[in-house]
Amino acid sequence: MNDIPQKTAREEWDAYVREERTRAEPILRAHGYALDDDQPHTLGERYLMQAVTTASGRKLILLGHRTSDGTRVVIKVTRDRGGVQELQFERTARAMLKKIRFAYDVFHTPAELLFVQESGLCIAVYEYIAQERSFLERPVEEQFALALTSFKAQERAHATTASHLREIRRVYESFDGARYLATFAGFIESVRTSAPPRPELTALLTRALETLTRDREVIEQYCGFLTHTDFVPHNIRVVGETLYLLDFSSLRFGNKYEGWARFINFMVLYNPPLAEALITYVAQNRTPEETVALHLLRLYRLGEICRYYVHAEAKSEGDVRTLNGARVTFWSAVLESVLNKQPLAPSVREEYIKLRDSLRSEDEKKRQVGLH
Amino acid sequence: MKIVIATPLFPPDIEEPAPYVKTLAAKLTPTHSVTVVAYGHLHERVEGVRFVTIDKRAGRGLRVLQYVRGLWAATRAADILYVENGPSVELPALLVSVILRTPLIFHLGDARAHERAQKELFRGLVERMVSARARVTRAESPLPRPEILPFEPYPAAALAAYTASWDKHLEQLTQDIAHE
Repeated sequence: MNDIPQKTAREEWDAYVREERTRAEPILRAHGYALDDDQPHTLGERYLMQAVTTASGRKLILLGHRTSDGTRVVIKVTRDRGGVQELQFERTARAMLKKIRFAYDVFHTPAELLFVQESGLCIAVYEYIAQERSFLERPVEEQFALALTSFKAQERAHATTASHLREIRRVYESFDGARYLATFAGFIESVRTSAPPRPELTALLTRALETLTRDREVIEQYCGFLTHTDFVPHNIRVVGETLYLLDFSSLRFGNKYEGWARFINFMVLYNPPLAEALITYVAQNRTPEETVALHLLRLYRLGEICRYYVHAEAKSEGDVRTLNGARVTFWSAVLESVLNKQPLAPSVREEYIKLRDSLRSEDEKKRQVGLH
Repeated sequence: MKIVIATPLFPPDIEEPAPYVKTLAAKLTPTHSVTVVAYGHLHERVEGVRFVTIDKRAGRGLRVLQYVRGLWAATRAADILYVENGPSVELPALLVSVILRTPLIFHLGDARAHERAQKELFRGLVERMVSARARVTRAESPLPRPEILPFEPYPAAALAAYTASWDKHLEQLTQDIAHE
């Protein structure tokens, strides 16, 4: 059992936020930027978050403005080695996207206004993209069209030849069938050795690995495509018909359905009709192998999210711990339904949402406003 | 008839002519013996179609040589060599067709490759040589398959037009194949 109490982790995070802000403020001021007093992205459960599959370091995402004209900005601040690497990778990944054969027009990028490394801090300042309404506040038809457009844009970047592969390997991470399987086996081992013991989840994940292994060739068949492994509403902004991608650190070359899988799994919780619409679209318009690939990658991503919350549960206490336990139970139920190719009972989702909303702190509720 | 389709792209590649070639192979299979020679890694399957796949991950020179070898072996007993445009296929197809004296039908299914051939001397020369060798060169392609979108009406008319465009294309192709 992880013995880091929630209070300590939370207090440690608060101290980290205070210290980073104190270090960053004079640098930002010297470059003509100021931080807002209210920083929603440091609140709630933010302290527990960390990326699971992409190299991610500790960093702060802050809101501020340009002092000369009040232009709203987003500021990323880090002095953690992994965090600096992530910010540098994001820069390179953005630049590389413009070079490779890719419908770059589909994904617009918030302008980078400042990138500095001073006094041990790495600071990136980006234009803030205001949107009239969040992704999930839009009609489901519009959500579907936006999602489909962006998935198609990603698919257009397909690295197949030796020269393509050489070029992308210099910048992006690349996953093939063997790496997906090995990573999934790591999820199982991680869950198996975590506390509290979860033999049912371990058995479920083992069944999923058997399915992935059996259809390994289908996973490999659709590899080599650009995919955004965290393509979910909080990483995009929509202004009119223009889609802005906010997170470039989760781009990699892998199975073309990995991004679809993450998005669809997310929508099982947030908008089930949209999840169904995307699955139906693939079934009606793509090859049977692609439907299999989507199913496999959904299993992969569900294994990942289960493992994520098993870890988050171990790191937390009190209501947050209860909530993370409920998350493990919910995502395990989703995994089981996908594995059995059965629909998830609506009551499972409804009961989870009810419990989640009752357990979320006020800070977390504030952080969630307009997030998706 | 024994037909060999030489193509630079085949699904899971998504750009044209990959989807076209896959549909063409599927539609020709009931009445012909079809072999597809394509660059790729793990291609999608079509029931009844034989595949010769040249791994794209090899270096350019090596993979073109491998393509020539694969195409040669596939075409030796073929009645028709159906060639999709693109320099990586045009040169091998020209060589194999001339030496084996296999009748060639040339399809300009990749508009972007054709456009580049208009602008670049070498590519243009190769394309013109293949066209000169071909029994017939066709630029027309059937309509792309309309998508069935969950929140939109079923595209019955568009699907009917798609089917009709393929019928017309196959009718034309049958005449081209039968032409002596």
